[in-house]
Amino acid sequence: MTQELRLPWDEDPDDLYEHAPCGYLTTLPDGTIVKVNQTFLTWTGYKRGDLVGHRRFRDLLSSGGQIYYETHYAPLLRMQDEVHELAFDVVCADGRTLPTLVNSLLARGPEQEPRAIRTTLFDATERRGYEKELLFARKRAEDSERRIQVLQQVVADLAAAPTEAEVAEAVVRAPEAAFGAASSSIYLVDVERDTIVAVASTDPTTGNWDDMPRSSPRAVARVADRGDLHVVGSLTEAKQHFPDLAENMRRSGRNTVVLLPLTTGPADEQAGTETLGVLAFSFTGERRLSDAELRVVRLLGQQAGQALDRARLYDAARHREELATFLAETTRALDELHRLLPRSRILVDRVVPEIADWAAVRLSVGPTGVLEEKGGPAPDADLLAHALARVTTTGEAIFPAPDEKLGCAVLPLTARGRVLGTLSLRMAPEHLSVAGEHAFLVELADRSALALENSRLYEQERQIARTLQRSLLAGNMPGGDARFAVETYYQAAGQDLEIGGDWFDAFMINNDRLAVAVGDVVGRGIDAATTMGQLRSAIRALAGDEVGPAKLLEALDRFVDRVETARMATVAYAEIDLPTGDLTYACAGHLPPLLQEPAGSPEYLLQARSAALGSRAGDLRRTQTTRRLPAGSRLLLYTDGLIERRTRPIDKGFELLAREYARRRDAPLQGLTAALADTLVGRDNTDDVCLICLTLGTEERIERTIGADRMQIALLRADLRGWLVSHDVEPETRDAVLLACSEAVANAIEHGYRDDPFGTIDVAATVTADAVEVKVADHGTWRGPTTDVSRGRGLQLIRESMDQVLFDRTDGTTVTMRRAREAE
Amino acid sequence: MTDQWITFSKFGDAELVRLSGEIDMANSGEIGRAIVNRIRESGKVLIDLTTVSFLDSAGVRLLDALIGDLAAQGKRARLVVGERGPARMTLQLCAFREDVLETDLDRAAAELGR
Repeated sequence: MTQELRLPWDEDPDDLYEHAPCGYLTTLPDGTIVKVNQTFLTWTGYKRGDLVGHRRFRDLLSSGGQIYYETHYAPLLRMQDEVHELAFDVVCADGRTLPTLVNSLLARGPEQEPRAIRTTLFDATERRGYEKELLFARKRAEDSERRIQVLQQVVADLAAAPTEAEVAEAVVRAPEAAFGAASSSIYLVDVERDTIVAVASTDPTTGNWDDMPRSSPRAVARVADRGDLHVVGSLTEAKQHFPDLAENMRRSGRNTVVLLPLTTGPADEQAGTETLGVLAFSFTGERRLSDAELRVVRLLGQQAGQALDRARLYDAARHREELATFLAETTRALDELHRLLPRSRILVDRVVPEIADWAAVRLSVGPTGVLEEKGGPAPDADLLAHALARVTTTGEAIFPAPDEKLGCAVLPLTARGRVLGTLSLRMAPEHLSVAGEHAFLVELADRSALALENSRLYEQERQIARTLQRSLLAGNMPGGDARFAVETYYQAAGQDLEIGGDWFDAFMINNDRLAVAVGDVVGRGIDAATTMGQLRSAIRALAGDEVGPAKLLEALDRFVDRVETARMATVAYAEIDLPTGDLTYACAGHLPPLLQEPAGSPEYLLQARSAALGSRAGDLRRTQTTRRLPAGSRLLLYTDGLIERRTRPIDKGFELLAREYARRRDAPLQGLTAALADTLVGRDNTDDVCLICLTLGTEERIERTIGADRMQIALLRADLRGWLVSHDVEPETRDAVLLACSEAVANAIEHGYRDDPFGTIDVAATVTADAVEVKVADHGTWRGPTTDVSRGRGLQLIRESMDQVLFDRTDGTTVTMRRAREAE
Repeated sequence: MTDQWITFSKFGDAELVRLSGEIDMANSGEIGRAIVNRIRESGKVLIDLTTVSFLDSAGVRLLDALIGDLAAQGKRARLVVGERGPARMTLQLCAFREDVLETDLDRAAAELGR
């Protein structure tokens, strides 16, 4: 410690106490003031007499101070004997509060008992104000930071929001977080429809959600129109400017509303900015927004506006892309089917419900035209008919205004400068008025028209090809010759396929020589039909007395060098010498003919095979084979459609054909080819089928052996019937012979073999120009004249139906019956 | 299964039995049973044979029995047979009762109604 400096004047200790630059208080341990200096009294306005002995220190404190006194000051002082710089507000005599900082010392007696508390108080008015300022500044900084954070979050969200809806969702949450708004709503401007639409809100119970025209007097529309930020500070203010807003505010208990236009471009440049929407947020109390807050609000408006602008462009791009994809997919779908009706169907199927609620395709094609319709409801029939007529005449599309009663767009289907028909579409009204959609619909109609026109041409060509093929196949087959009979059959592929190049032919080379041919030209459609005709004519021209199948095929090889479309065509060709029954045949890449002789199983003719016509890699050495066919032989020529099926290996096809063919050996020739096609192919054939069956000569004599089984009588009758028919036996005689023969067999079964189920019955029949003779023989036992009435009737029938009947019972029973044929 | 040979229907108030195809000793028993089962309740019966392509003595026996039974029960019946054809031939050859044969259905029905 240095030596005390001597002052220039004497310091009076009392004066120092009374007028020290701080307040002094001495109190008893319970706080009762016992001494106070003048400084304190001056600061607080109390009289010394008011305090000393009357008041405790704590009585002078504010209510918060009193609590603090009890909870902190007193315990601290008791424990530590001193407290430093505790802040207390002292309530002055006039009720003001004086911020102070308090230091206290507890003085103790010799026994360490508390004796007195000495307290100094410093005026902290200045310091407290400074602290407050500091706190306020900090709060402001924090608020600002929070707003910035909210804004940053919103900006980040906006950047990631690809659609208007998502932008709206990101923006609508901002005012609550940033400014403590009670609720907020967002409205978007729909320029095309000239309306403003509410899209999102944090509290949908507030506000008016109806769409409004942009010219509406409502606050949102006005703000959108002006493009300025509006802060409606009170209900009174609202009433003055925006009555609708005032009403809403009153209803939802709001006192301040901010209407923020969401604009493109910077806010300070009014020119060139566009208002895309309005963000409206409101506060329950009257809320003043600071300049800093208003700056943030404006920033939010710009950011949201830009995001909306981006989303709009993005939406538009995506929409264009969707339309382009739709067009491409529709074109592709139309290309998948060739025929007109399925294509028309595809078109309406694509359009409804994807872009329209109802659609109709009308084509002026054919005698009745085409109409494909889907969806509903259909427009008023009269209005539509009127519109259709106008579009068909002018070739101009009709896009009705949204309020027009027609309610559907009618587009011409124009191809190659001709209005082929119309496409009518009923869409949601907002679609109809959109200019961009118009271009799209016109494009759709144009593409569809082209696809439908191609279909129409395809149908036309298909029709021509079919007519051509029919005319070629329907040519006269040789007939009226007892030495042979020909049966043909043609079945076109399933209805959606073009005609193939399958054909058959039969013609007389000379009086005694018959030619039959079956072939298959590569390809389909009109080319195949034409080529088929050429090839058929070529064969007819090339065949001759001294030519024969091998030479004919060689000539055809030369022919296809000139008619390129006939190259690789396959041909099965056979000639039959009718007097001898000699068959000469050759196959150029074609399936082998199938021969059924009167006895035995069917046989595929596998000789004389060589490559298809004009083949460059195949074996073109043309050979032929001759074999003699017995009378009653049946020769079948056919095309691959008969045995080739996707679900069946070809060898199975051959097997099945041989089996079915054998099964029908006794069936009449008439209907045989059709029955074979029906059994092997059915109706769902994917390829054309051609068959030609030739029956050579006729059996002079038929011999059959059947078991003693009544079920077999019907089979025998079928056999016999076919034989009688092939001999042109007149119906009366035929029926009589069948009846007598049946009865004789029945007799043999019921009498001769009544005890022997394994017996056999031989039947033989001959036909001449004069008579039919039938012999039925069994080897059973005969038990004398029958008394059975029914058999008696059988015998009676035999006798009545035949002219002569002889029973021979030397070995079993042989019935010989004869009936004269009717005179011509 | 006799469906391929017989179809039953009504012609006015009469039961109409249409036979078709070949009727012989192999199927006549079965056909007879099917017909008897069906016409048990009928007062009038028409049997149409116009599409029968073959009729043998067993068939004749069946028709004979049917007509006889119906007559015994006081029921009326007619056979409709074409003017020619296999069924007519067989019936004629057997000297079947001409009075129950008619050549067309309407006339046969009219006959029954008298």
